[in-house]
Amino acid sequence: MKLAGIKSIDNAHDDSVWAVTWAPATATRPPLLLTGSLDETVRLWKSDDLVLERTNTGHCLGVASVAAHPLGSIAASSSLDSFVRVFDVDSNATIATLEAPPSEVWQMRFDPKGAILAVAGGGSASVNLWDTSTWELVVTLSIPRVEGPKPSDKSGSKKFVLSVAWSPDGKRLACGSMDGTISVFDVQRAKFLHHLEGHFMPVRSLVYSPYDPRLLFSASDDGNVHMYDAEGKALVGTMSGHASWVLCVDVSPDGAAIATGSSDRTVRLWDLNMRASVQTMSNHTDQVWGVAFRPPGGNDVRSGRLASVSDDKSISLYDYS
Amino acid sequence: MASVYIPVQNSEEEVRVNLDQLPRDASDILDILKAEQAPLDLWLIIAREYFKQGKVDQFRQILEEGASPEIDEYYADIRYERIAILNALGAYYSYLGKIETKQREKEEHFILATQYYNKASRIDMHEPSTWVGKGQLLLAKGEVEQASAAFKIVLDGDRDNVPALLGQACVEFNRGRFSDSLELYKRALQVFPNCPAAVRLGIGLCRYKLGQFEKARQAFERVLQLDPENVEALVALAIMDLRANEAVGIRKGMVKMQRAFELYPYCAMALNYLANHFFFTGQHFLVEQLTETALAVTNHGPTKSHSYYNLARSYHSKGDYDKAGVYYMASVKEISKPHEFVFPYYGLGQVQIKLGDFRSALSNFEKVLEVYPDNCETLKALAYIYVQLGQTDKGHEFIRKATKIDPRDAQAFLELGELLILSDTGAALDAFKTARTLFKKGGEDVPIELLNNIGVLQFERGEFELAKQTFKEALGDGIWLSFFSEANKTSIDAATSTLQFKDMQLFHDLESNGHHVEVPWDKVTVLFNLARLLEQLNESGTASVLYRLILFKYPDYIDAYLRLAAIAKARNNILLSIELVNDALKVDVKCPNALSMLGELELKNDDWVKAKETLRRASDATDGKDSYATLSLGNWNYFAAVRNEKRNPKLEATHLEKAKELYTRVMIQHSANLYAANGAAVVFAEKGHFDVSKDIFAQVQEAASGSVFVQMPDVWINLAHVYFAQGNFALAVKMYQNCLRKFYHNTDSQILLYLARTHYEAEQWQDCIKTLQRAIHLAPSNYTLRFDAGVAMQKFSASTLQKAKRTADEVRATVAGLQNAVRIFSQLSAASNLHIHGFDEKKIDTHVGYCTHLLSAAKVHLEAAEREEQQIRQRQELARQVALAEEARRKAEEQRKIQMDRRKHEDELKIVQQQEENFKRVKEQWKSSTHSKRRERSDDEDGGTAEKKRRKGGKRRKKDKHSKSHNDTEEAEADMMDEQEMEDEDVDMNSREEPQTQMNDDEENPHGLLALAGLEDSDADDEPAGPPSTISRRRQALSESDDDQPIMRQTSPVREQSVDMEESDGEIRDEKRHEDDGSDEEK
Repeated sequence: MKLAGIKSIDNAHDDSVWAVTWAPATATRPPLLLTGSLDETVRLWKSDDLVLERTNTGHCLGVASVAAHPLGSIAASSSLDSFVRVFDVDSNATIATLEAPPSEVWQMRFDPKGAILAVAGGGSASVNLWDTSTWELVVTLSIPRVEGPKPSDKSGSKKFVLSVAWSPDGKRLACGSMDGTISVFDVQRAKFLHHLEGHFMPVRSLVYSPYDPRLLFSASDDGNVHMYDAEGKALVGTMSGHASWVLCVDVSPDGAAIATGSSDRTVRLWDLNMRASVQTMSNHTDQVWGVAFRPPGGNDVRSGRLASVSDDKSISLYDYS
Repeated sequence: MASVYIPVQNSEEEVRVNLDQLPRDASDILDILKAEQAPLDLWLIIAREYFKQGKVDQFRQILEEGASPEIDEYYADIRYERIAILNALGAYYSYLGKIETKQREKEEHFILATQYYNKASRIDMHEPSTWVGKGQLLLAKGEVEQASAAFKIVLDGDRDNVPALLGQACVEFNRGRFSDSLELYKRALQVFPNCPAAVRLGIGLCRYKLGQFEKARQAFERVLQLDPENVEALVALAIMDLRANEAVGIRKGMVKMQRAFELYPYCAMALNYLANHFFFTGQHFLVEQLTETALAVTNHGPTKSHSYYNLARSYHSKGDYDKAGVYYMASVKEISKPHEFVFPYYGLGQVQIKLGDFRSALSNFEKVLEVYPDNCETLKALAYIYVQLGQTDKGHEFIRKATKIDPRDAQAFLELGELLILSDTGAALDAFKTARTLFKKGGEDVPIELLNNIGVLQFERGEFELAKQTFKEALGDGIWLSFFSEANKTSIDAATSTLQFKDMQLFHDLESNGHHVEVPWDKVTVLFNLARLLEQLNESGTASVLYRLILFKYPDYIDAYLRLAAIAKARNNILLSIELVNDALKVDVKCPNALSMLGELELKNDDWVKAKETLRRASDATDGKDSYATLSLGNWNYFAAVRNEKRNPKLEATHLEKAKELYTRVMIQHSANLYAANGAAVVFAEKGHFDVSKDIFAQVQEAASGSVFVQMPDVWINLAHVYFAQGNFALAVKMYQNCLRKFYHNTDSQILLYLARTHYEAEQWQDCIKTLQRAIHLAPSNYTLRFDAGVAMQKFSASTLQKAKRTADEVRATVAGLQNAVRIFSQLSAASNLHIHGFDEKKIDTHVGYCTHLLSAAKVHLEAAEREEQQIRQRQELARQVALAEEARRKAEEQRKIQMDRRKHEDELKIVQQQEENFKRVKEQWKSSTHSKRRERSDDEDGGTAEKKRRKGGKRRKKDKHSKSHNDTEEAEADMMDEQEMEDEDVDMNSREEPQTQMNDDEENPHGLLALAGLEDSDADDEPAGPPSTISRRRQALSESDDDQPIMRQTSPVREQSVDMEESDGEIRDEKRHEDDGSDEEK
């Protein structure tokens, strides 16, 4: 298993690139890469040449998250002003603008079936679920307040929700918070199940294994990637190697590897069998805010692709095999 | 049965004297001899017989009687016998003189002997035997040349005179002319083939000295054939056997030596050799006995020296350095020239090194070096001494010479490396590597300490992968392999337990599975260093397992607890970290490192009072010598000074003074302590002495660059603060950015906040807002940052509106910015309902109000701007119309000209009138537009009042500015402090970050807001309680936030590292010592 650089676009945005995702292929076009940046735009790129397809404007502050519907036609972008803009990928027509004050908006993810958009609600200590047909707020999953012995709650130790992840069967939703705890919810019953512990620093990215609905990977500022049995509440393994915060994690479609991006400016590829880093890409010159494996589908299913985006304003595309 | 017959005077009878039954009282015999006037040769025979029987007194009595003047008179013409008697007496006294050890009596004997010989000479000048005797006497007195002259006189007369030949041979032997001596011995033997065995002994000795060992051996063996009890020959043979240096030879030699000892227990040479032997077999008691006997029986300088040397060595090897020193000294005293016997100097030097008397040791080793200028061991010893004496350069010179002389001496390279470690790590590493190669070439095992040192040096130089290889090589095979070799990783999954820092189950499981969990003592340090390295390589999971492995076997290894605690702390698991430090304290309640770390953790937990106590304890545990603890206390005071909510100026001053005092104390102890310097500079900055503090910071920054282990981002931040305070925004920005990139992987939102503030002061609104957005992205839960962003947007918009010229686009952007600001503020106000962020809702509302107000004003502005644009467009349109009309008129005129019709003329007039009306209307429009303008102006005036207000605020601001700059400096100082703290932390590995962060947390929200408010003048107005002090506080809060933590992290490794190094050094040094001993033994 290895990564091979295919293409890098320097100055892909006018400022730091903070978010990346793949809009799956539709009947009429191959998959598109979506990137969001501090320059307040979302850009769409055709792979493999990374040709700029379009630049979406409309946000007033930096774009912190982008998410694409599993069918590939709809996508959502959110910025620091906590508006979510849902738009048609191909026409850029605005479908809906979502906000749920006082919740902020951090990471967003569509559920595997595409019926729900989950939005990490920041300081509201909750995840908002939006119905993707009516664009109405379905439910707010709140993390129960811990009756801790710490009355002097500091801003850093709150259950400030940063990241969300859907289990591949869509039954579970996990969210990571600033204090390092991960909360697991039963989506159907809209019920909080339990916390996963082990991190004590912000968990900025989470992802479930595509094949094992119990296996969850988390990336934290403590520099480690943890593997959890999300049902059994057990820490299965840790992978250390990054020199700084791990900002993002994504799992390969075959479920055999994960990729991580870090403030140490590297992208690492981890072999899940060996539980060890097998490759380190250092082509970025600033922190790597996003990594995304291209979902299977479309014409060339077999060739795996990984995209990474960074504060250095660039986008990189790799072949994964 | 031998007997002599004394003829009875005047008769034919004889008295038969049985020689075996001589009377005890020699007077009886003397009476007979005298009475019968026996021939003198009988006197001699009887005297000799007495001598042979060991009855020396009788011997002397008879001879002295025989030499008396009476006899001279009586036997006046019997010259030869009289001479013989005198010579015998001379010889006797020569012998006595020779063996006498006391100088005075020795002299007396020699004088007597001389008298007798002189008397003999007076009887007959030419009697050879007298000359021979004189020669012997002179020999005994050590006057070799004169002895030679005496023998020569004899030999000139009779070249075959055996005693003279022997004497001359002896002379030549003493002169070191062994071949001449040999010739003489040979001649003596030819002349007198049956001469005593001693002659052959002489031959043997000559041959031995000439290096003809086989012939020498034959000679000695012949001696033994003739006289099986000849001790000298036995000893000589034994020495030859021993010299052969083979087991068999040595055994044979020892048998002979023992036999010699049994035959004659007082032969010093034999005793010395036996002692030597027993020294090597380790029977020190025998050594002492033998050498003491040897010392008692000889007064021969070199032999005594050898004996003392043996004795000294024995004590040396037993570790009794004082006694060894005394005996070495005695041995040295017996030696006139170091060339003869140099070993005791070496031994003495070694003992003096041990006893710390380096100067004496130096002179002794220098003597050895005179004799053996190329002796590597001596060169190494000298190098060591020079280093101890602080003359490192000379030390280097010697050790380098040693390595040059023997480029295959791994030990020398090893020592060279050790010498270089402090001054030149690169060269040290090279030396160590050479040593390693040499060990490998020699087929020896490379010492673990050497590999460890190489690894540490590589580690220090940042060659992490190489260092890892080296440490692994040093560790070799062992249970640890299963934890870090990838092949085994799947079989034993250590990863699962990586988070349970105290979990030893893993090892118990391994043991119960039949694995042998063992960590040899000499590998613990290496293992620890490897774990440190893994930490550096961010493999903290594996590192944690290794630390636990160490603790599993060596539960008292405090550093391992502390590293585990540090890892836990790096993961922000403070409670676990505290628990681990407490484990370390269980091992040693007074461990200053653990206490310092605990103090830091307590600060992180906001336990100020407890932390101060803990730090005090740490300081006390080292009698205030631990700079880390002192610096920590200094930082504590600094924070206390800056932190105080009420900002009691007196208290602040005391705390600052105290902090300064503590920093200064550290500086006095360690003038090169970066952290103390940083702290002192912070205090200076706090007091407004920016130039001084800037100088110090710059120096600290320079000094701090270049080592992996010294990472001082604080000093960068402090410098930036100073630049900021001095208004040099561009430099400050650069400094902040470099620091952020260099030390924090751009992850520190606090520095981003500083950066934003600098942009704000520099009125670079866009940069400020972007920077704040980055900060928000990094620290989403810090709502202060949002507030700041809102303020920046508000300020940006206000400043745009104040501009004299602005385009509609600009105004539009302003409006968008204001809308954003309003949104942010209202979000904050909503959020503050939910959480306690320390935001004053009222203040937010004021901001919202102000922004909305601005927004409405801006909307008007926008409208105005848009209208203006429209007007411009209209005007253009009008102009076009006019042009069209003119065109029409011209056409009409043309028509008129052509038609010249009056009526049409009228029509034309009408048209003109119409046009004029048109114009009028336009004019009216203009009027109305000016009117609207006026209205706008009134709007402006509203704005103006706002501005005025602002201006008031501005005044205040000026005041504020004072305070602000003050504040800034304080901030800067705070930062510096932080940095210092970080440094301190370095020292101990732990701690100081927490206090700052906490302070930030506590104060930041309120202060941060205040500070932001301070930025905005309007805020100042709004805040009734917002006097400059709050602002300054805020600023301080900002500055405080600076970042001690990262530094701490880095620092701690250094400490440990240094500890490691020391340990390894210690081990190495021990080894060296062993080697020295070994070399002694070889000698």
